[in-house]
Amino acid sequence: MFSSSFISTLAMLFNFSLRNIVRYRRRNFFLFAAIAVAVGGTTLSNALIRGWQVDMLETAVSGLTGHIKLQAPGFADDPSLQNAFSSLTPISLGDNVPILGFAQRINIPAVISSERETRGVALVGVDPANEGISLYRDFVIEGEDLGGPEDGRLLIGRALAETLQTRVGRRVVVIMEGADGKSRERGYRIAGVFDAPMKISEELLVFTGLEAMQAALGNTQLRTPITELSLVLQAEEDRGVAQRELAAQHPQLVVKDWREMQPQVAEIVDLVDATMAIWFFLIMSALTFGLVNTLIATVMQRTRELGMLRALGMNQRLLLIQVVMECVGIMVVGVIAGLLLGIAMVFGLGDGIDLSAFSESVEAFGMSTVLKPVLTLEDLLLFGGLSVLVGVFASYFPARRALKISPLMAMSR
Amino acid sequence: MTDSEQNSSTTAPVVACQGVQRIYQQDTVPVYALRGADLTINAGEFVSLAGPSGSGKSTLLNVIGGLDGFDAGSVVVGGVDLGGLNAAELAEMRLRNVGFVFQAYNLIPVLTARENVEFILQLQGTPNQERRERADAALQRLGLGDLGDRRPGELSGGQQQRVAIARAIVTEPVLLLADEPTANLDSKTTEELLGLLRDLNPQQGMTIVTATHDPIVMGYTSRQVAMLDGEIHQDSASAD
Repeated sequence: MFSSSFISTLAMLFNFSLRNIVRYRRRNFFLFAAIAVAVGGTTLSNALIRGWQVDMLETAVSGLTGHIKLQAPGFADDPSLQNAFSSLTPISLGDNVPILGFAQRINIPAVISSERETRGVALVGVDPANEGISLYRDFVIEGEDLGGPEDGRLLIGRALAETLQTRVGRRVVVIMEGADGKSRERGYRIAGVFDAPMKISEELLVFTGLEAMQAALGNTQLRTPITELSLVLQAEEDRGVAQRELAAQHPQLVVKDWREMQPQVAEIVDLVDATMAIWFFLIMSALTFGLVNTLIATVMQRTRELGMLRALGMNQRLLLIQVVMECVGIMVVGVIAGLLLGIAMVFGLGDGIDLSAFSESVEAFGMSTVLKPVLTLEDLLLFGGLSVLVGVFASYFPARRALKISPLMAMSR
Repeated sequence: MTDSEQNSSTTAPVVACQGVQRIYQQDTVPVYALRGADLTINAGEFVSLAGPSGSGKSTLLNVIGGLDGFDAGSVVVGGVDLGGLNAAELAEMRLRNVGFVFQAYNLIPVLTARENVEFILQLQGTPNQERRERADAALQRLGLGDLGDRRPGELSGGQQQRVAIARAIVTEPVLLLADEPTANLDSKTTEELLGLLRDLNPQQGMTIVTATHDPIVMGYTSRQVAMLDGEIHQDSASAD
C-alpha cells in the first residue's frame, strides 16, 4: 500500500515529532498534565458512574427478581396460590447459557401482627440453600437462620421487628390467603432478625421455609406449588437467549427478564450509559478547546521552521502528517498518563465510597450505601481510543494553520 | 520534471528571467519590487545580486527559487517554466532543482547536523544507506566530518552555515541560491565560507546565485549583477 520510501519518511517524521515534543518539554508537560487530569478524572468519574450502574443492576437482580423470573399467567394481577405452578426442577438451558443458580419460592402478600402493631408484608417461602443468588445471602442475622425448606419459623427484617416491637424468639400472627382462597391465620415463632443492605427489604420481606409454607397454605391440585422461579445467569447479556429458551420450554408460564419486571431501574441503567457519554463529551470538549489553543500557539511559534520545511520542498501532505503526529503524540502520552492516573485513583478508593449518611436517598435510586467504582477494560479502551481521536480532531486546526504558512512569509519573519 | 526537461537543462541557461514584475499591495498602494527584470544565468556561473535594501535582489532570488510568485514576465529554472506551476509543483521543483542557503541558517534544531543534511534526501526518497553515505560525504567536504552528531545549538554560526550549505548541495541541485549567506558571520568565517562556495562552483559545475550587499561576497563571485529599484542596473557579464 505504501512504498518503503514513504514508510521511511514517516519514520523520520515520527522521530522528528518525538524530538519536538521533548524540545518543548516544559510547555508540553503542562499540556500532558491537563490531558492526564482530564482523562484521569473522566476515568474515575465514569468508573463511579459505572459502579452505580452495576450496583443498581445487582440490587435489582438480587432483590428476588433474578435475571429471569417465571410466574403463572395472572399472578401479577392476583398474587395468590391460586396462580401457582408446579416446581420445575431441574432447569436446564444447555452449555451456551450457563446458569449461576435458581430459586423456587412462594411469594404472596400477607399481614403480620405482633401484640402491638400490624403490617402488610410479602411472605416468602424459600429453600435457604438455594438463595445464594438473592439478597438473602447478604443478610446479617441475629438469632438463627432458617434451618431448611421444612423450617416453619420466620425470618423478619430489623426494621419490621422494630415496627412490630418484637424480637427473636417471640411469636407473631400471619394472615394470608390459603390455597382454597380463604384467609388463614397462623402463629409463627421468629427464628431470626436480619439486617439487609436496603432498609425497604427489612420492612417488606418475611421469610419462612418453602415446604412448611406449602403445608400451611393447604392442599392444591399441585403437588409442590410455587409462585415464582428466579434464575440468575452467569452473564447478564445471555438473558435474551435464556428468556426465549425458557418461554419455549414452558409455554404455560410467563417468562420475564429483570428489565420487564423493573422498568424504572432498566431505564436508569440505560440512562447511565448516556450519562457517561455526555460526561465524556463535555470533559473532552473542554479539553479540546485548550488543546487546540496550545497546539495552534505551538505552530505559530514554529512558523519560521515550518515555512523553512516548505521552502526546502516538503510537500503539504508530509507537513500535515508531521503536525498531526506531534499533536497525536502529545495526546497519546497524556491519555496513557491519564488512564494510569484514573486506574490509580480507582484502586485508591479501594472499598468504595461510604454513602450511608445518605442511605434513604441512595436507596431511592436503587443503590446500596457503598458506591464502588467499576473499571472495565472496554471502558478504558473506549476512553483511550476516543481521547486519541479527540487528539486527531484537535490537530486539524493547527495543521490547517501550518498548511497556510507561506515559505516566503515564514522566511521573512 | 520530465527527462526532456532535464536534458534541456544541460544546454539551456539554468535561469532565464524575462520582463519579470513583482508587485506587492501595501494597503491599496502597489509597490513594485521588480519592474521587468531580465536575467539569464548559465550553468556553472557564480553570480552575486547586489544592491541596496529595497532594490529587489532578494525578491528576484525568491522568484527564481519558486518561493515567491511573479505578476508578469517569465521565469524558467532548469528548463522548467515556473509560471505554470501550482504550490505543490513549485515545492517539488524546489526539492529537486534548487538548494537554499539562508542568512539565518535555518537548520532544524532537533536534528543533528547529519540528520539535517539527510532530511532533504529523505524527502527525495533516497534509500537509507545511500542517504547516510551522501550526507557524510557532503559534511566531510565542508570540513564537518567529525561534527555530524552535533545538533545546531552545539555548533558555531560558521559551522551551522556550513551544515546548511551541505544540506543545499547534497542533492546536487541545478541551482544553489544563497540569500545573504554571510550576513551573520564574522569576516574570517565569511571568507572561509565564500572560499568553499567558490570551490564548489568549478568542482561540481554548480550554478550559484547569491543576494548580498557585502563587497567581500561580490569579490568572490565570477559575475556581479547590480540591482536598483527592481531592475537590473548593471551586469558585469554585459560589461565584458
